[in-house]
Amino acid sequence: MKRSSLPLLTTIAVLVFFYFPLVLVTIESFNASKYGGPWTGFSLRWYKTLFTDAEVFRALKNTLIVGVVSTLVSMVLGTVAAFALHRFKGKLQAAHYGLIYLPLVVPDILMGISLLLFFVALKVELSLVTISIAHISFCISYVTMVVLGRLQDFDFSVMDAAQDLGADRLTAFRKILLPLLAPGILAGGLLAFTLSIDDFVITFFVSGPGSTTLPVYIYSMMKHGSPPVINALSVVLLAVTFVLVLYSQFLNHGGKENA
Amino acid sequence: MPTMIPRRRREEWLLTLPTFFWLTLFFIIPTVIVLAIAFKPAAPHGGFGEGWTLRTLMELGNPNYPAIVFRTLWISAVATALCILIALPVGYCLARASRKWRQFLMLLVVIPFWTNFLIRIFAWKQVLHPEGILKKTLVALHLVAPDATLLYNAGAVMLVMVYTYLPFAILPIYAAAEKFDFSLLEAAQDLGSSRLGAFYRIFIPGIRRGLLTATLMVLIPALGAYVIPDIVGGPTSEMIGNKIAQRTFVDRNLPHASALTGLLLVTVLVVTGGLYVLVRMRKIPRALGRSLAATGTGNLTTTAENTAPVTPESIADLVAEEEKNKEENAEEDAT
Amino acid sequence: MPPFLSFENISKSFGSHKAVDNVSVDVSRGEIFSLLGPSGCGKTTLLRMCAGFEEPDSGRILLDGVDITNIPPHKRKVNTVFQNYALFPHLSLRENIAFGLRIAKRPEKEIQAEVDKMLDLVQLTDHADKLPAFISGGQKQRVAIARALINKPQVLLLDEPLAALDLKLRQRMLVELDGIHDEVGITFLYITHDQGEAMGISDNIAVMNQGRIEQIGKPTEVYEAPRSSFVAAFIGDTNFFEGTVTEEKGTEYLTVKIDGFPDVTVFNDKNAHKGDPVYLSIRPEKFSVSVEKPAENEHVNAVEGIVEEVIYMGSHTRYWIRVQDYRISTNRQHIRYALDEKPIQWKDRVWLSWRTDDGYMLERYAAADEKLLILPEE
Repeated sequence: MKRSSLPLLTTIAVLVFFYFPLVLVTIESFNASKYGGPWTGFSLRWYKTLFTDAEVFRALKNTLIVGVVSTLVSMVLGTVAAFALHRFKGKLQAAHYGLIYLPLVVPDILMGISLLLFFVALKVELSLVTISIAHISFCISYVTMVVLGRLQDFDFSVMDAAQDLGADRLTAFRKILLPLLAPGILAGGLLAFTLSIDDFVITFFVSGPGSTTLPVYIYSMMKHGSPPVINALSVVLLAVTFVLVLYSQFLNHGGKENA
Repeated sequence: MPTMIPRRRREEWLLTLPTFFWLTLFFIIPTVIVLAIAFKPAAPHGGFGEGWTLRTLMELGNPNYPAIVFRTLWISAVATALCILIALPVGYCLARASRKWRQFLMLLVVIPFWTNFLIRIFAWKQVLHPEGILKKTLVALHLVAPDATLLYNAGAVMLVMVYTYLPFAILPIYAAAEKFDFSLLEAAQDLGSSRLGAFYRIFIPGIRRGLLTATLMVLIPALGAYVIPDIVGGPTSEMIGNKIAQRTFVDRNLPHASALTGLLLVTVLVVTGGLYVLVRMRKIPRALGRSLAATGTGNLTTTAENTAPVTPESIADLVAEEEKNKEENAEEDAT
Repeated sequence: MPPFLSFENISKSFGSHKAVDNVSVDVSRGEIFSLLGPSGCGKTTLLRMCAGFEEPDSGRILLDGVDITNIPPHKRKVNTVFQNYALFPHLSLRENIAFGLRIAKRPEKEIQAEVDKMLDLVQLTDHADKLPAFISGGQKQRVAIARALINKPQVLLLDEPLAALDLKLRQRMLVELDGIHDEVGITFLYITHDQGEAMGISDNIAVMNQGRIEQIGKPTEVYEAPRSSFVAAFIGDTNFFEGTVTEEKGTEYLTVKIDGFPDVTVFNDKNAHKGDPVYLSIRPEKFSVSVEKPAENEHVNAVEGIVEEVIYMGSHTRYWIRVQDYRISTNRQHIRYALDEKPIQWKDRVWLSWRTDDGYMLERYAAADEKLLILPEE
């Protein structure tokens, strides 16, 4: 059957649309011109400015601290919740599911302002702790959904088989269920980590002086800083993303071939 | 085994309580507080005063606000429609591509999605900049007047929204299309339908769940958008999100910010509920939840499991099946 | 000799559904015993209770004289071959097979030796280090068997072990299973809905329906002497006839009046008397079909009918022949196809005959079981 070429052309156009601004930013980051615009020569000075900015590194450190803490906590809470949702059915779990589902459909800004007012009302000082609490609160839902998806895909007869072969419930859990679910839990954690280090809106509301994360810092640079430095930062972050995505893809394939 | 019941109950509570507690404390209570503050009087120097009042809510009737709500709705609606229209052929193309190409294309679609959101917006700000390349090209081609501005208007907001949210639309549509049995299209043509007719009559209904998921995944963040109109929009393209931030950080009028948040919440609920009723599919919330969760992990899990990328639709179906099986198993022999 | 494994008055309900209803079954040491029945008949529930995954509501299970009813699954000397194999996807075949011994904390050397022996038994030595995802269905099946057998269970439970395989492989695996049983001599409890498998492999069969045992016996017994219409119709194909005893011919034979038939002579299996209603089951292959009227013989019944449907099956041909309200299913073997008498065709008038000993009187009859019979569309 002859197929229409429209879908393919659209796809190509979309990919151009996706990458065109990113390529432009990359080029601009090497432009010596201070205000962008016409090319005035190749320069690395914006990168130099970026790497001598202590604030950037402080923000990066904060981002990573929050990212790691909220990933770990939400991985544990989300996995436990997924087990509850999978194992038990009833009114309690229906409510539980609703509670976990809601943060996914509520706009970020609502979560940001409500947590801000909550902390203000309790006179809690805004810090990395409040940011972590906020991040955990939205990461839980994502981790739960990912792990729950894996549990639903999971063939529980292997647990019967383990017990049939002499393993008690704890051993079966440790030797069979956990290793088999680890990839799912890690995938949930990876998602949580990405969401955490990428979050701006919610963090913007609940961060205080001294607890600036990288996205919040980028935002203030966008408002007040010099564009070429942001370009340089963008290129660095883009490069990191590319490497990580390609690496995870490589792991994915390598694993399959060796198995 | 009656002796098992208390243990099961205890186990259930033990597994349920941690998240229940956390989300009640840090999600439900704060939301309730926000909604409650809308009924408090504003204090002159920020914060809120004593007592209860309906004044803030009445002030929402001020013509300024309905205009903003209306603008938020139409900007979001247009951006969503564009995303779906573009995502449909892309999802179709991905689903029909050979395995190798599909993985490569998926990777290309997903990478922008994994890059920082602010950076993507900032990149567009430079593209659209009066001195930027796009403007110059368009002027050179006599497509726009030299004094036209590409930035700081509703068009720019919609364009950047489409750019940022498009992957959210492509992934669920692709996931649904991947499960679609394309021989049905041939069957439809065999029965006399044109190619386009088969696409509309068979393919679109076949992936309607994915379409709805895609719609919600774009529409909800669009309605609550704050950063995009803040960076590339101007006074004529202010959205609810901007007003909330402005009232919170600039005017420090918390009751107003709260009332606006309530308004946003109601808007989201009404729109979502409306779509939900429109399509009358009872499984949507679950499918949506799965999609939201699965989007990020689709092709990028670092571990080698022998499964295809997590597809929200397949998972939603599994859930439905699983539940059916559970019910049956409970009553019948599991043979 | 007392039974090796016995289920005593077992009942189990799920909600309002009675999955197993007062079932008692005895299994002898070393035999292959099959539980045969349609889906939902309770056979899997019975197996799961034997494995320890379910507890009966009442009754008890004895294994070698020991009550195992309430012993958890991991403490029973019973192992299961699961329907979908339930191989551990993250462990190699070798580690799958070794699992039970590792749990039992046996010395590494012994484990390796035992696993090698098992791999040899199921002919998978060359694939030992593969993961389950990379072997075929038949190979998975063999791993599942080896993984269970290595623990030297007192009873091996097999839950529809061949259901996931295609037809040819199923037949091959059945022979292989029989071979493995001969080699290890362990008692097999075999669950299946496929009467062919059950007949082929079992020493004894329990036929189950709706949570109850319909009949227990050797394959030939359940086939040739079905007690109920369910057993007769579920195992193979048959014809049911309803009649009334009009005369007792000595102690052995009866004359029975069936609507639309001349008087029929029937062996008196059930000690029926004049005036009693009887239900007969006659297997299709017991009938002879001929164009000529067979010679009179007091041990042969004959009736005239019209061929309504003919289906050529290669090794034999099936005819459905109408006699009044009955449509009678028959088989005719082709031993020398071209040389046989001229083929019988659609609409032919033919004679149907069967030996008086070839019908069997049913103890229980339910009209619903007629749905299990193979009849062409009317």
